[in-house]
Amino acid sequence: MPMPRSLWNGTIAFGLVRVPVKLHSATESKRIAFKERHALDGAAIEHRRVCAKERKEVPYEEIVKGYEVASGEYVVLSKEELAIADGAQARVIDVDHFVAEEEIDPIFYERAYYLSPGRLGEEAYRVMHAALLRTGRVGIGRFVFHNKEHLAAVRALEDAIVMQTMRFADEIVSDSQLDVPRAAKKATKLELDTAQLLIDQLDAKYEPDRYQDRYRDEVMALIERKARGEAIEPPERALLTREADLLDVLKQSIEQHGARKRRGSRSNAGKRPPSKPSAGEPSASKPTKAKRTAKRGGG
Amino acid sequence: MPRPLWSGSLSFGLVNVPVALFSAVRDMDIHFNQLHARDASPIETRRVCSADGQEVQWDQIAKGYELEDGRWVLLNDEDLAAAAPHKSQTIDVECFVRECEIDPVYYDRPYVLSPRDEAAARAYTLLGEGMAKSGRVALGRFVMHAKEHLVSIRPRGAVLTLTTVRFAEEVRSREEIAEAVAAGAEPSSEQIENAAAIIAELEVSFDPSRYKDEHRAHLQRIIKRKQKGQKIVAPKVQEEPKVVASSAPDLMGALQESLARIRGEAAVGGDAKRKPARRRSKAAVQGATRVRRQS
Repeated sequence: MPMPRSLWNGTIAFGLVRVPVKLHSATESKRIAFKERHALDGAAIEHRRVCAKERKEVPYEEIVKGYEVASGEYVVLSKEELAIADGAQARVIDVDHFVAEEEIDPIFYERAYYLSPGRLGEEAYRVMHAALLRTGRVGIGRFVFHNKEHLAAVRALEDAIVMQTMRFADEIVSDSQLDVPRAAKKATKLELDTAQLLIDQLDAKYEPDRYQDRYRDEVMALIERKARGEAIEPPERALLTREADLLDVLKQSIEQHGARKRRGSRSNAGKRPPSKPSAGEPSASKPTKAKRTAKRGGG
Repeated sequence: MPRPLWSGSLSFGLVNVPVALFSAVRDMDIHFNQLHARDASPIETRRVCSADGQEVQWDQIAKGYELEDGRWVLLNDEDLAAAAPHKSQTIDVECFVRECEIDPVYYDRPYVLSPRDEAAARAYTLLGEGMAKSGRVALGRFVMHAKEHLVSIRPRGAVLTLTTVRFAEEVRSREEIAEAVAAGAEPSSEQIENAAAIIAELEVSFDPSRYKDEHRAHLQRIIKRKQKGQKIVAPKVQEEPKVVASSAPDLMGALQESLARIRGEAAVGGDAKRKPARRRSKAAVQGATRVRRQS
């Protein structure tokens, strides 16, 4: 497998050490790619850039970037002016702080990139990688990429350094902006105990490989049916069930799960989620955190 | 309250909770419009049929999929909804896992789940409290925007957040990168110790409010200046620090020098000795950064 193309060459600044690195996308979309077609004749759809005033198509080189300061009033910025905003440190990931990974709320994480050593950076890369692994800490830095500043978390996987862009605090929607309905009555201890029992029963170990996108296969099957000229019936809308007695339903869930477990073979008798065979595995032996940390990681 | 992006039910065991899904993030980026350079009028994007050259309205656009033989299959949203009706209406919780087992590389987009009414709020709250007590997060899946999503659901304060989790096949192999890393020289234990000591000196508690998007603020200032007709000039390029080292023999020197400077600055900061790292004031941490930039 060839080395994934690098998106960016830069430097991690860490103390007085400069680590030349290359940035590679750690993720890729696997969704089915559709193209826009005209529903009437099936022809391809073209996107044309048209001047609102002249009503004529505009070639790409005649297009500039404008920021709307008031309705219909734009401030035009040239490429050079945009580059000025990027600042002098545009190719440096400045790591100023280190934090414990568990302190970072996952809500902040954005896109993940693998870092590979850049030219002459092999040694410094390995020192940084080893030190991150030993301390189990995550470097917090910032860098500018595609005319946008990103907060970034730099952390060691077992065999490489990964950098993940992070959202700024003001990009997270606060609870007060969403008026989430609150329960009128607090849960009873019995309800809470029963809910926990159900959670315990469905306890599993997260193994990324166990989950496949099965919907994609269903869409592919649908495409094949449609290609054969079959009619696709609209789905029936499922009815939502209202819970008259939450506790009863929880108990029934636990009983149902128990019954399934008893029906299962001996080797399946561990804590396996009942209805979805791919959902988890027995987790009778609970590994230590260190062990789990060593085993996790992408790809 | 914004409009929900999706609504349906959250199902765990036999419990079904009517819920709505909202984005947990908002776009704070500065957006530019495309303008025609000559007359500064906005550029409009028109969708045009390639066969007859006529403009096509949005509701006349289908999703096309090209078969191997070159034929196109056209689908509309109703067709796609028929692919997995149950999954499009229900977030099915399959199991509960420890959050630390999910590597952050897998996280995609965060959302907030909200119960649709007070009656639903009871089961919703109970699930949240149950997960908080047992230290587990729920793993489930559902279909939204014609894509199946694996999701983790966990309590965050009084609300449940839902984060889409990438499928393993969407996370790239890093075999080649790991090989490139392993090809470098084995670092000495002294180098690693020094680097680990620098990390320990620069350790703070994670406080997201400490970090502001400076680039966004800078860009806003540039736009303001330009609006007033002022000229935009590039700031002087900062001189790179003199001790720039990424390989031996300078690397060891750079590590030791960094450590000495950070420690020196931290001691001046005052509280470094009492509570190392964790309790270090912001000023001391910034001081350490300043030293590096001035050198």
